[in-house]
Amino acid sequence: MTITTESSEFLISTRYKSNRNSPVSWVISHAVHQWPFMLMGIIGAIGNASLASVPAIYFGQVFEDLVDLQPDFESITRIALIILLSQVTRGILQFARNYGFELAAQRMERNVREELYVNLLGKSMTFHALQSVGELMARATNDVREVNYMFSPGINMVFGSINFLFIPLILGPQFHPALIAVPAIFLILYVISIWRYLVVLRPITSQVRESFGNMNSRLAEAIDGIETVKGASQENYEIDLFRTNAIAYRDHSIKQGDVEARFFPLLLLALALSFGLLHAMLLYNQGLISLGNVISYFSSLSLLGFPTFTSIFSYSQISLGLAGARRILEIMKREDNLDQNLEGYHEPMKGQVSFNNVSFQYADFEPAIKDVTFSIHPGQTVAVVGQTGSGKTTLARLINRTYDVAKGEICIDGVNVKDWYLDTLRSQISIIEQDIFLFSRSIKENIGFGNPNATQTEIENAAKAAQAHEFIIELDKGYETVIGERGVTLSGGQRQRLALARAFLTNPSILILDDSTSAIDSETEDRIQKAIFNAAKGRTTFIITHRLSQIRWADLIIVMRKGRISDIGTHEQLMNASLAYRQIFSE
Amino acid sequence: MGFYSGLAAEKYDRQYSNRALLSKIFRYAKPHSGQLIIISIVVILRSFTESLPALVISNLLDKVTLAENRLSFIFLLSGVVFTLEIGSYILNLIRRKKSVRVISELIRNLSTDAFSAAARQDLAFHDLFSSGKIVSRISSDTREFGTLINLTTEVLSQILQSITIAIILINTEWRMALIVLSLIPIVVLYMINYRKVARKVTREGMRAMADVNAAIKETISGIAIAKNFRQEKSIFDLFDKANQTSYRVNIKRGLILSIMFPIMRTLGGITSGILVYAGAISVYEGIVTAGAWYMFVLSMDRFLMPIFNIASYWTQVQTGLSAAERIFALIDAEHSVNQIDNYIVEKIQGQVDFNNITFSYQGSENLLTNFNLHIQQGESIAIVGHTGAGKTSISRLITRFYEYQSGELLIDGRDIRSYNIESLRKNMGIVSQVPFLFEGTVAENIRYAKKDITSEEMHAIAKSIGKGEWLETLPDGFETQVGERGSQLSMGQRQMVALMRVLVQKPAIFILDEATASIDPFTERQIQIALNMILKNSTSILIAHRLSTVRSADRIIVLRSGSIIESGNHESLITRQGHYAELYNTYFRHQSLLYIENAKHLVNHT
Repeated sequence: MTITTESSEFLISTRYKSNRNSPVSWVISHAVHQWPFMLMGIIGAIGNASLASVPAIYFGQVFEDLVDLQPDFESITRIALIILLSQVTRGILQFARNYGFELAAQRMERNVREELYVNLLGKSMTFHALQSVGELMARATNDVREVNYMFSPGINMVFGSINFLFIPLILGPQFHPALIAVPAIFLILYVISIWRYLVVLRPITSQVRESFGNMNSRLAEAIDGIETVKGASQENYEIDLFRTNAIAYRDHSIKQGDVEARFFPLLLLALALSFGLLHAMLLYNQGLISLGNVISYFSSLSLLGFPTFTSIFSYSQISLGLAGARRILEIMKREDNLDQNLEGYHEPMKGQVSFNNVSFQYADFEPAIKDVTFSIHPGQTVAVVGQTGSGKTTLARLINRTYDVAKGEICIDGVNVKDWYLDTLRSQISIIEQDIFLFSRSIKENIGFGNPNATQTEIENAAKAAQAHEFIIELDKGYETVIGERGVTLSGGQRQRLALARAFLTNPSILILDDSTSAIDSETEDRIQKAIFNAAKGRTTFIITHRLSQIRWADLIIVMRKGRISDIGTHEQLMNASLAYRQIFSE
Repeated sequence: MGFYSGLAAEKYDRQYSNRALLSKIFRYAKPHSGQLIIISIVVILRSFTESLPALVISNLLDKVTLAENRLSFIFLLSGVVFTLEIGSYILNLIRRKKSVRVISELIRNLSTDAFSAAARQDLAFHDLFSSGKIVSRISSDTREFGTLINLTTEVLSQILQSITIAIILINTEWRMALIVLSLIPIVVLYMINYRKVARKVTREGMRAMADVNAAIKETISGIAIAKNFRQEKSIFDLFDKANQTSYRVNIKRGLILSIMFPIMRTLGGITSGILVYAGAISVYEGIVTAGAWYMFVLSMDRFLMPIFNIASYWTQVQTGLSAAERIFALIDAEHSVNQIDNYIVEKIQGQVDFNNITFSYQGSENLLTNFNLHIQQGESIAIVGHTGAGKTSISRLITRFYEYQSGELLIDGRDIRSYNIESLRKNMGIVSQVPFLFEGTVAENIRYAKKDITSEEMHAIAKSIGKGEWLETLPDGFETQVGERGSQLSMGQRQMVALMRVLVQKPAIFILDEATASIDPFTERQIQIALNMILKNSTSILIAHRLSTVRSADRIIVLRSGSIIESGNHESLITRQGHYAELYNTYFRHQSLLYIENAKHLVNHT
């Protein structure tokens, strides 16, 4: 069964559907689509290993010819040519193996990243509002890479070397049935010891990573905050702390080094070679096999070196790849609980908003919003004030259904927001967040982002209304200036005014402005005031603000405290009713 | 170029002569000389245990037919092979265990020294050089250097192994040995050229990957905006382009990387064929025995692999050595703030005198010129002026973060250069413009400058600020985790914690570089209360950005181009209609109650 994203907000046809039941089945469902390349790799791997046994077989024959001292140059020349040609062919097959798996891995990296990205685009605002960008970045870059490495070199090396394990197992009995003993025992112990090695190593490597992370993050903090360190004269404290962290990192590294040093398969190889030699020689002594057979058998045992050395990294590469796949799947499978409500209310918005006993809480946390009730008319400006964590931002996000209420109801134009068609609801509500995001594109494109067909005049008018026009034309390339390029940096106030201009062009019925900019000088403050005032004109506006002047001219002020409305009313009402409110307006 | 940013040169970098660099490395290696000698012996021994089995086996094959007691001969020589193989494993085990200890300890030692040097460096140094690069020297470069040492023992052991095999082969039959040895120049030449191509495609691959990362970062960060405006397709196209380009570049890279071993394999295979033929002739001619011929065949792979690795080794040596050079440059960088005496003071009074101080920064123009200022014990002064007027210079000299060029700076009438800096700074409380918190709890951060404060004292002080309401806004009160650099707290909360830090410290001198960030009015009121509590008890130097702070100071100092041009209190300065009045109109007017009350009027009429 595949979990599809039919309810998602954005769909684009992908190359094929993947099976998202488990990391293994997901990886396999991607791998089968690369079958021509995988096949090329597998043929290469088997061919490479088979041809590797050719010299082993012929060495014995040559040796016997030489010992017998019966010069047969024709046969020797033929064997030399066979060895030479087989090894050149083997080189080509080895290349086919490497490149086949490499191509499959690169194609999978591209496809997996695309699948993840399309999935992310389809996720709701609820998802993205809660999800840190850093984590998504890590999934889309590092973890996708791990899936690539899982195939090349991971599976490439595993497939490529596993065949070598069977060469002495097949070749040995050709000379004498007893010769199966050493390679068979080796194979069993090899599997067990690699399993154990991986199990023992995994927690230790994560400890090493963790202790290095600890050391590094405190180090970075101490250097970044060096002024604080020096101001509090805590240099020695920080040095001691670093020393402790460095010791922990050292100790964990040594622990890892010890496990790696013991790497048991290497000892197994040493044992296999010496006991294999002894075993073959004893059989020779009993006259059961020839010396040439001993040489062929021993040469085939030497081939066990390849799977032994590659196993140091190839298996952990696969488990890293699966861990990456698990994390990617976990993100893709996370669903959002908002439904689009395609049949819902679909009318132009007037902007009347009412909260009726609304409560909301983030998963497992204590309620962020408790029993909130208020009602506002279309076109009113509402200032929402309160300390950090009092629920201001959450309150605003409930309006456009970034989150759904847990209790009570929110109505717009008298219709419960849950009964609106989601697209109609959101397209008429514009939110300007605290951290304003601008794309690394021209200012013109940023302002026109929601309305790509806007003319230059429309864009300039929006910029003028947002009080952004003047600083834009002072930039080197005016409206064509690309943000972030060649040191073009904008202040928080300027970014906010660009976001306001962006909102003007889409003309929302409800504007929610999370304002935390601060003006360095009074002239800038004048501009911000005008811009926000223009924005609020003719539409319902919620301003989450720290500005006393905005609070002063708002039609309604909501004071939030610990998730509840502690005071509500006009400025005059609050000046009379609330001591805390009065205090902030005293000089 | 993000990938090479850690490698870029800095002003304090220096070129050490090879001898100087080696002697520095040697100094760090010296405590481990015993271990290093053991490692060397083990490496030498292992080169024998690795190359001798082939010789033993060839003897076994040659002589087993002639041996008097065949069985015991087989057991004897198999026993020798067994001993050599197991010995090789054990020697390798010892070498790895020993070297991981030496290297880890060396890295620890070097990185601790590098961090100590960085922590003790002047603030001027840290202002000049990015913290990211310093951090990368302390953590990445030291690891790089450790890798170098590991690699050196590894390659050394392989070279020895190759030499031993070569000697055995030459001694057996020099003409056949020549066939094997003739591979060396071919392999080396191939590897050098291969590396050039590989490095080029790898760099291209990294660049393409960086573009993918950038595209994802940009579009995912902006995803909420894209959704808000229904522009998903436009950002998908941006991503798709980068993703496809990266794919194309990487399959090219894959082609180059896939071809390396097959070519080596082919080369080895051709040599095997030649050896079979040449060997056979030699055996017939009676030059070598059949067993010796087999030894050549067996030894070839073990001889080739080290040659193969040595070729790629040199570039890594260079990387490791330049990493070492960068670490030592950091450790050896000179200081500019130097004390002339080491007077340890328990408690200072808090009187500050600037007498004819001239201060410039890194030889640029003077920030303060013949500057005079007397600050009484317990006095609070607010410093105002345009950017670049010299406001922060005053605080940076009092904290002894920077060195001045002439004049004298006295604390309690004593030259600031004659104090023990640590004891002096213990008497100062500093709050910077963006308060810096360390990962951990709020309580840990408050205790940062005074580790022995009791919880009761801390609670009492917290409660005295607006009944401790600010503490209630934190989810777990004092035990709230602040996150990396304090990122979990709002600017206002960070400000409160920084002020609490000073309140528990009770310093004689308080220096505040006021935040410009916007803070909600309720928190701001509590900050004001905390500030007033500090001002009551300490000599205070306030670089003020808030009208309320300016007005709460005893004296306002108006700076222009490094000189005091006006001083007095708010009312008197306003009535003078001088520079202060101008500054007020530029920076403080919008904070006044009058402006706030009239804001509606203002916006309505434009």
